[in-house]
Amino acid sequence: MKVVTGVVGNDIHVVANRLMELSLHARGYEVFNLGVNTYLEEFFDAAVETGAEILLISSLNGEAEGWGREVKQLKAKYKYLDNLVMMIGGNLTVGSGHAEDIIPKYKNYGFDLVCHQVDLNTGLDLLETFIADRKITESNQS
Amino acid sequence: MSLLQEEREIILGNEYVDTFDFAEVEDFVKNASKELFISHHFKKKNKMLVQPRGGFPTYKKQFALYEFFVDANVDVLPLTIDSNTRLNDYGTAKKMLRLSEDNDVDMLNGYPLVNHGYRTTRKMMTHFNKPVSLRHGTPDARLLIETAIASGIFEIEGGPITYLLPYSKNFPLDKAFLYWKYVERVCANYSKLNEPINRESFGPLTATLVPPCITIVIQLLEMMLSLEEGVKSFSVSFSQSGSMNQDIVMGAVIRKLSKHYAAQIDCADAAINLVYHQWMGAFPTNKDYAEQLISISTVIASMVGADKIITKTREEATGIPTKEANAKTVANTQYSLGILNGLPNVVDQEEEEILTEEVHSIMEAVFNDPADTLWRKVFNSIKNGIIDVPFSPHIINHNEMITIRDAKKNIRIIERGSVPISDRCYAYERAQCDLTKDTTSIVNDIIHDIGIMQ
Repeated sequence: MKVVTGVVGNDIHVVANRLMELSLHARGYEVFNLGVNTYLEEFFDAAVETGAEILLISSLNGEAEGWGREVKQLKAKYKYLDNLVMMIGGNLTVGSGHAEDIIPKYKNYGFDLVCHQVDLNTGLDLLETFIADRKITESNQS
Repeated sequence: MSLLQEEREIILGNEYVDTFDFAEVEDFVKNASKELFISHHFKKKNKMLVQPRGGFPTYKKQFALYEFFVDANVDVLPLTIDSNTRLNDYGTAKKMLRLSEDNDVDMLNGYPLVNHGYRTTRKMMTHFNKPVSLRHGTPDARLLIETAIASGIFEIEGGPITYLLPYSKNFPLDKAFLYWKYVERVCANYSKLNEPINRESFGPLTATLVPPCITIVIQLLEMMLSLEEGVKSFSVSFSQSGSMNQDIVMGAVIRKLSKHYAAQIDCADAAINLVYHQWMGAFPTNKDYAEQLISISTVIASMVGADKIITKTREEATGIPTKEANAKTVANTQYSLGILNGLPNVVDQEEEEILTEEVHSIMEAVFNDPADTLWRKVFNSIKNGIIDVPFSPHIINHNEMITIRDAKKNIRIIERGSVPISDRCYAYERAQCDLTKDTTSIVNDIIHDIGIMQ
């Protein structure tokens, strides 16, 4: 499966981004890594261009909170992205916050999977379960 | 008028500069006190020079910081520049400086040198009469270094590679080379008037599992780019790696090879100094542990035989340190250096030989690039992955190299990417590591290896 990933906004924290690329690759994904300092438009453009099934956005400095608000509106402008799996992870708030407040907020922004301060491999396991579940649902429907 | 002088007049005609008096500045440098030149202190070689980090937005706070440092027996004062100035956004820096002055809150993470101007800043520098080192991170530092030298700051840190690859995603690398060529030429010209202006490269790079051969190659190349423009005093540097042995080996090899490559371009007359950075990776939040880490760094710097050490503070994990904590580190480091006597002479011939061969192979590949000038050869070598810096955010960097720590915490290359180290060296590096692990455990090891000091 194809996945587009990167760090959103003016965030330049690169370490986890590289490790994610390595881990995704090891799990058999075809990875299109846009790196740090990536804007929402660039993510969606890349998803269209590569035909990716998954968009995995990350954030370390927490500025995803600001960008998240624009996700739905912007995504609606693109065709062919309705089935895109939307995942976000990292530090999802500036300062400190609780996962129980943060997760619903991001689900509202249009993300299917939200990982606030979750270990890298735990997060990727969640993604795999989500995709497997979705396939079962789809085959049941057809 | 020379092309360089024409360019200088354009740069210094900037709207944020209050008329730059070329003749007066030249006169000032010519007659400046020798004490202001770090190159003069390096020549005397009395002791390892101690330099902290630090920059505050207002003149008043910077002055107060220097008073604390002088009380703590500092050797070299730092001037750390704010991030707006680093990106040439002098307008925002000006606004934030005014807010900082009016409200007594720091709205900048450093000293906006261009906005303060050289006439004001020079008063502070000549008052303390200590060598000052300019710490910034600016890809286009042309206006900044003109202002610095005119202020009496006679050491300029940075370089086209080391100030770009760790800090930027998109800034064009070829432009950075040309902007830094200007810096080297201006430094070289002023160096003819009095003691030389010292240039220092930023060896820590990303401070994240960078293997010694990459660090050294980049240090040597920035040194050569500087010397070939006429700079006469240059400091190569690196930061604590996490393995004492690897640091000692790196120190020995970089000393030897910097002389070798300087001589190769007929610049053997230039003074080459070695600078050691205390641990640049993630720090422990426990401040007492942080102090232990700092004192161990000082021990290693002594074993390495560094000419200057750049310090951290016990508050590193929390944010910008207070002047009290910063001065405390200086006093502690001076104390440690004073009691570090009778050090053993450690030599690891096998490791030195491997590292030397790796550096030579990469340097040879850079020189073999068909481009006509050294900076273009270096540019092409970064572009095609001959030089690959782990964890650089820049789009030009290849990111194919993978490094990990061995059982003794040495940084080893387990994937060389397009970096042309020989099969023998590559096999040696890999032989030190457990290669049976799957990617998931390697990624976990890398995460652990990055955070070893926490």
